[in-house]
Amino acid sequence: MRLRVGGFAVAAVAAWFLPYGLDLYGIHVIDIAIVFALLAVGLGLAMGVAGQINLAQVAFFGVSSYAVAILTTRAGFGFWTAAVLALLAATLVGVLVGIPALRMQSHYLGIVTLGLALAFTNWVTNSTVTGGADGISGIPVPPLFGIDLSSEYLYYYLELVVFGLALAFAGFVAHTGLGRRMRAMRDDSLAAGAVGAPVPILRMTAFVLASLYGGVAGVLYAGLIRYVAPETFSIANMFLLLAMVIIGGRQSILGCVVGAVALALLREALVDFSVYAQLGFGIVVVLMVVFAPTGLAGIPARLRRLVRRRRTSDHRATLRPFRPEPAGGPDRVGASLEISGISKQFRGLRALDDVSMSVAPGEIRGVVGPNGSGKTTLFNIVTGIYGVSSGSASVDGRVVTGRRPHQLSQLGLARTFQNLRLFGQMTVRDNVLVALDRSSMLAVWRYLLWPVGIWRAERDLRARADDLLERFGLTDFAEAAPTSLPYGIQRRLEIARAMATQPRLLLLDEPAAGLNGQEVGQLGEIVRAIRADGVTVVLIEHNMGLVMSLCDRVTVLASGGVIADGTPAEVAVRPEVIEAYLGDSMNTADIAAEVESEAVR
Amino acid sequence: MEVFFQTLVGGLGFGAVYALVAMGFSIVYRTMGLVNFAHGQVVMIGAYAASTFYMTAHVPFFISIPVAMVVTGLIGLVIERVLRPLENKDFDLMLIGTIGFGMVLESLATIIWGATGHAVPSPVDTEPLDVFGIRIRTYSIVVLAVAALATVALVLFLQRTKRGAAMQAVAMDHEAATAVGIHVGRSNAVAFAIGAGLAALAGALVAPMLYVNPTLGGSLGIKGFAAAILGGFGNIPGAVVGGLAIGVLDSYAAGRFQAYSELVVFLVFTVIIMIKPTGLFGERTVNRA
Repeated sequence: MRLRVGGFAVAAVAAWFLPYGLDLYGIHVIDIAIVFALLAVGLGLAMGVAGQINLAQVAFFGVSSYAVAILTTRAGFGFWTAAVLALLAATLVGVLVGIPALRMQSHYLGIVTLGLALAFTNWVTNSTVTGGADGISGIPVPPLFGIDLSSEYLYYYLELVVFGLALAFAGFVAHTGLGRRMRAMRDDSLAAGAVGAPVPILRMTAFVLASLYGGVAGVLYAGLIRYVAPETFSIANMFLLLAMVIIGGRQSILGCVVGAVALALLREALVDFSVYAQLGFGIVVVLMVVFAPTGLAGIPARLRRLVRRRRTSDHRATLRPFRPEPAGGPDRVGASLEISGISKQFRGLRALDDVSMSVAPGEIRGVVGPNGSGKTTLFNIVTGIYGVSSGSASVDGRVVTGRRPHQLSQLGLARTFQNLRLFGQMTVRDNVLVALDRSSMLAVWRYLLWPVGIWRAERDLRARADDLLERFGLTDFAEAAPTSLPYGIQRRLEIARAMATQPRLLLLDEPAAGLNGQEVGQLGEIVRAIRADGVTVVLIEHNMGLVMSLCDRVTVLASGGVIADGTPAEVAVRPEVIEAYLGDSMNTADIAAEVESEAVR
Repeated sequence: MEVFFQTLVGGLGFGAVYALVAMGFSIVYRTMGLVNFAHGQVVMIGAYAASTFYMTAHVPFFISIPVAMVVTGLIGLVIERVLRPLENKDFDLMLIGTIGFGMVLESLATIIWGATGHAVPSPVDTEPLDVFGIRIRTYSIVVLAVAALATVALVLFLQRTKRGAAMQAVAMDHEAATAVGIHVGRSNAVAFAIGAGLAALAGALVAPMLYVNPTLGGSLGIKGFAAAILGGFGNIPGAVVGGLAIGVLDSYAAGRFQAYSELVVFLVFTVIIMIKPTGLFGERTVNRA
């Protein structure tokens, strides 16, 4: 940390004295590079941090530049008034371009944003308002307390201050709650929703942030060059920008800056061989994507990991035992779950047919049944991932069907997933932190107006995360990547993450799958402690030993319907259960085989 | 009414080309889950290869096409080999990787053929046909016929041959396909070669309709991709319908909004895809939690 602060101080001092060593051409190149760096930071926030493919970044840049140009030359506004309006325009366009992200992701979003960027270029090249292919010249020099900003040297300092603030803000966003939620959404949007991150709002936020940075860059560009023309905002420049972010490292804000400055300078140096420069950038992008997907910024971490692997082979981190003492107050009572008449139709397949069950507060309920009987579908409906065809579910009398996963998380619902859904590119501690963060998205205003509040909340969250990791015996792995951990530890981490949301109803989807006998024993202990803590637990499980010993009541599903409901002892002897679940020979080897196949899957 | 049909007919010619581009996207996507953003640039290389061979070697146009297909097929194999480590893993990285390839191909084309481009004379120089007062360019009919033949051949290949069936199997589950003895790598390579071949076909056919230059691939690729998504990504008949739809839409937008046609096409495309993200014939992919 101290090293990093020192590094920033040195960089700031160097940047401050840089113009003294540069001629007029040199400072011009640097001024342009800073504009690109701003664009790259915005793109990095959207693509690297939030995982939203955004190929319309040049359009945000263009909207703002053109807005400044049009408002100052055609409407007679002053530069700074025009600049504020231009930022608003860029943000508005950001919101509009972001709307498709609510419905589609990945390559679909790529083609839509690219298409909209093309539409923008098409408009500015043809409209008379934008001056067509000739563009608009004669943008006034921005006035600033009598400082002559027509000098590119002085303009450099304006850019430097703006850039410094923008960089600090981006770093702050990326390393606190908002950025963490966005990274969680990037790694697994379903799980992010399940732990309470409002995915739709986060996607829009990503585009708003990208467009805000594009807007600032556009204003600075318009004030610097004082002339705008369509080719600056071409798709070729969009791809150059993309190359900057990928080469620098899209997940690191500093990496984006390094990539942007390096490529902007390289492009100027190779201006006489621009085709070869483009060829080179393309080749480097391909190589980076295949061999160093985290870009230049990821290289130090990779080296560190190599070194650490050599050094610490003798000291192994261990999974500590779970500490069963209660975390919440003794007055907490679990929530009740009432499922009435739920049916779910997938095209021709009726996955659930009029399923009803009711779980009392503080109960541990087992849901068992053969593969394909609709158990996970039921969980997905209760946690808001699927809608229902008919029927409803309610928690403590509040209807939960038809609500978004993140809203249900706020209501006290938590779950784990059958095929582990941890946030793979975040540390174990960050996985827990995302879930611990219960703040509403309405609180994002504090990022702009009261960052100290964010900082304090962050410190508090970290302390609680350490407590939780300690309780689940995961302290040794706090900084590890979850995917590098053994399967049993990942399973436990998923429960810890679900518990971090302080639920009153916890749904566990096959928590024992893939665990060895000892781990299954620990799991039973953990689930009992969770119930003692005032949480109702519903679990899907194939391990009949665990179900029989742990659950108060068991519901049996077969072919989408409830065929039995009662205490484990009652249910186990019902003939229809034996037939549906164990086969008619009641051979216990079948169960073992079933558990095996589940674990493999 | 006459204008209406005239525009429709004009749009179908380009639509057939978009359909070929979209089929190239789809065959690669369905087999290996690779979204090839460089596909448009492969089309452009195909257009250059075919037209250069046609104009400098003075061979018949329809002999220059297979030559161009071989050239792009090789390029396709290179792209597939380089990006193989990412297949079925990271969609976003793969997408960016192919954008990188697109940059490489575009600059290579500029280095080889120059930035200015060239016009290609139509290989079919008969008078336009006159059907009920609507003028139909003979070349458009040729394009439509070739595209139809290619579609039929592709569908027959996928459904009637062993190799095609193997590719379908890989598309459904590459691990299960490996388990029953299908060489997934080879199957992917074949898919990529076919996709690139279709790109060359599209490029060669479009060359006499447009001015061939290094940036040709950009808009053709994006519209072809839009067509593929519109039809339902990975669906071959969907790609054809989507291609024709984009072609007709383009043609009407050009007639009605002149220079703003691109703006209109992409706005309309965005709205349609927002309403129905899976396209016309696409399967809804269910999130398995």
